[in-house]
Amino acid sequence: MTDPATLLQPSGPSRYLGVLARYGIVWVTLALFVLLAATTDGFLTGPNLRNVLDQQATLLIAASVATLTMIAGGFDVSISAVAVAAPLVALRVENATGSVALALIAGCAFGLIVGMANGSIVAFARINSFITTLATSFIVFGIGYVVSERSIMRPSSDSFRSIARTRIAELTTATWISLAVVVVAWITLAGTRFGRHVYATGGNAEAARLAGVRTRLVVVVVFALSGLAAGLAGVVAASRTISATPSDDFSFVFGVIAAIVVGGTSIAGGTGAVWRTLLGAFFIAFMVNGFNLHAIDPIWQRIIQGLVILVAVSTDAWSRARRA
Amino acid sequence: MADLQSGEPAHAERAHVELCGVSKRFGSTQAVDRADIVIRRGCIHGLVGENGAGKSTVGKVIAGVHTVDSGTVVVDGRECRFRSPRQAFSAGITTIAQELALVPDRSVVDNVFLGVESTRWGFVNRGDTRRRFEALIERSGISIDGDASVGHLSVAEQQRVEILRATARRSELIIMDEPSARLSAEERDQLHRLVRSLRYQNITILFISHFLDEVLDLADDITVMRDGRVVKNTEPSSETAGSLVEAMIGRKLEGNFPPKPPAPDPDQRTALSVRGLKPAGLTGPRPVGRTGSPAEALSPEGLDLAVLPGEIVGIAGLVGSGRTEFVRSVYGADRAVAGEVRVLGGDLGRLHPRRAIRSGMGLIPESRKEQGLMMDRSLRENVSLPHLRGVTRAGLVMRRAESDLVVETTASAQVRGGGLDTSVRLLSGGNQQKCLFARWMSPGLRVLIADEPTRGVDIGSKRSIYDLISAAARDGLAVLIVSSELEELVGLCHRVIVMREGRFAAEFSHPHLDEAQILRHAFGEEAATRRTS
Repeated sequence: MTDPATLLQPSGPSRYLGVLARYGIVWVTLALFVLLAATTDGFLTGPNLRNVLDQQATLLIAASVATLTMIAGGFDVSISAVAVAAPLVALRVENATGSVALALIAGCAFGLIVGMANGSIVAFARINSFITTLATSFIVFGIGYVVSERSIMRPSSDSFRSIARTRIAELTTATWISLAVVVVAWITLAGTRFGRHVYATGGNAEAARLAGVRTRLVVVVVFALSGLAAGLAGVVAASRTISATPSDDFSFVFGVIAAIVVGGTSIAGGTGAVWRTLLGAFFIAFMVNGFNLHAIDPIWQRIIQGLVILVAVSTDAWSRARRA
Repeated sequence: MADLQSGEPAHAERAHVELCGVSKRFGSTQAVDRADIVIRRGCIHGLVGENGAGKSTVGKVIAGVHTVDSGTVVVDGRECRFRSPRQAFSAGITTIAQELALVPDRSVVDNVFLGVESTRWGFVNRGDTRRRFEALIERSGISIDGDASVGHLSVAEQQRVEILRATARRSELIIMDEPSARLSAEERDQLHRLVRSLRYQNITILFISHFLDEVLDLADDITVMRDGRVVKNTEPSSETAGSLVEAMIGRKLEGNFPPKPPAPDPDQRTALSVRGLKPAGLTGPRPVGRTGSPAEALSPEGLDLAVLPGEIVGIAGLVGSGRTEFVRSVYGADRAVAGEVRVLGGDLGRLHPRRAIRSGMGLIPESRKEQGLMMDRSLRENVSLPHLRGVTRAGLVMRRAESDLVVETTASAQVRGGGLDTSVRLLSGGNQQKCLFARWMSPGLRVLIADEPTRGVDIGSKRSIYDLISAAARDGLAVLIVSSELEELVGLCHRVIVMREGRFAAEFSHPHLDEAQILRHAFGEEAATRRTS
């Protein structure tokens, strides 16, 4: 008989394999970075990298916060709808008052309210979060059409574009905002008591409840934050393009989920990290950037992108099965 | 076993299933240990034993749910190694489990013929299926509406549907695992008649049950199991409920307990006081989703309990007696319809885990994987979770202070085999369980409730868990333990309360703790009177 106290720890090569798999996203993102730097002239240049950062800003704002939702065991697809409707609400306020600050607040508040509604339905009516946010998505898309009277909206003054397009130390404010959101989400998840409660709720909600965690409150808060971030992302996007259009386009959330999942956060909840989402987003961004610099047909880009997501998810499932 | 097959003309003497030296191990638990059982064709074979004696595992080995580690299963003289329930099924073996396996939204007829429907060109032939159903009803004498939706039937009726389904597939052996646990007295009688009628159709029944009188009444042969071993193969004419109880308890393998903490001073203020508690899980007419929960069992005045600081109180009872429901609602994990809980005199008000923790209670739940631990999170996070408030500054968890706390508590709970950031999934069962003790080893704790504290842990860890419980009482904690292992309760507790059908049926104090007495009260009055007569 083995000593009951000894730990069943993987030894030798399998241990290194574990570390390799665990930080896989770090290695592949680095490898891709080096590869692109070596094979293309245009990649490792200030303007190109600044451009990538700027383009990723809206996705990072939404994805870093949605990481918390996913770790808590939730799935928020209403991010798309909020990102479409929030800037329409913001521009309605801007057109009426002329105030950029009020517009920004209105857009964020709109997202926050939708998120709180999502979280409350998931936590108290106990309806599956995917279905809940799918349903609220349609409502929010509808609100977008109502607010905008079904037409493209533009700001009344030019200063609206300053939200995203002011330059500070070579970088756009969109980039700075996204970095700030990433840092806040990162610290919240990794450093605070609330972050621990998020992990505990997603890891085992019943165990967390019996250990005194208010799991329903955790669920409401992560959905509220996710809505807030999606609203901010929408307003930043509208500021970059100086317009907002009503639509019922779901594609934004797919990019968000792809970044989270490629980073290695589990869709089953309980494990993951904001830095993972950051890397996941940049891995996909570098890939797309590299495709463009190598002039690869956009149709093939999609197919390859899909395959990469499949590989990421199956790696996660594989390592999970090995642990179980 | 050859003597059984040769020379005896009566078909009933032919062995249908023989287990020869069958062993089965789950992790550190030897569930079945070299079991020899002969089940004769066309007989009702009773299988009895305490919780965890290995009865259900034997059933599952025969039914192909588990493969044996060693030994052989012989069916009709041929050795069989079933790798799935499907293979056992095609050999004519069906199980009717404690949790019924029916499709609730389909009709009785659909369920009975699920997978063996009469078809014509790939379409279900309703007329023919219906004719087969009528024939089946007539043959078995079961009365049931074929069009009723199964989800709307009572447990007893659903059970009949399962029996019909087994006969529709021409099963020769039906394994019934605790079939009467959730039935009323009248329904039980109907079940017994049905089981006897199955035997007349030359169907063999393996009848696994807690109810000794039922087994004595029904069975042709009886096997008694204890600690995974077959201790007796016998027949009802030579047994009484009392003799079966004795065989079930026997002499125990491990008498390995720390000395009892000194008896608590009765003049102290009560640490935990429960008055008139009515757990919601014990009051409903038919609790959904929990096997064996008693139907309308709770007394109108509710449950009362007082535990002194330094006292260890055990709660004994069969699975489904309401033990777990009781302690969970004391802690606020499940709702209570009425009642009041006080810790050191302070009323908790509306019961809720957060309030319980704040007032100094800690619960180690029945299933550490489902209710206790976040398996993929670290030791650190699992242990510190209820105490984060104390190590947080300005919203941020102070890792240094947290580490100190976790190092201290895991050391005193003797958790071994991993650093603070090891995922608890990688720990052994015993160390996982000790993590849960470490979680509550904080100075503020007044009342520790542990539900099955040693389930699924190895013998070495068992002893250190007993030491932890004993040390907790010496430190002045009130300890409440629920356990299926009577020797554990007798070895550790100052006082043991026996629950049966949602009530406190009896109470024993040290030094008058006696396993046989406790078991008799857990099983009910009938067994007790039979033994004394």
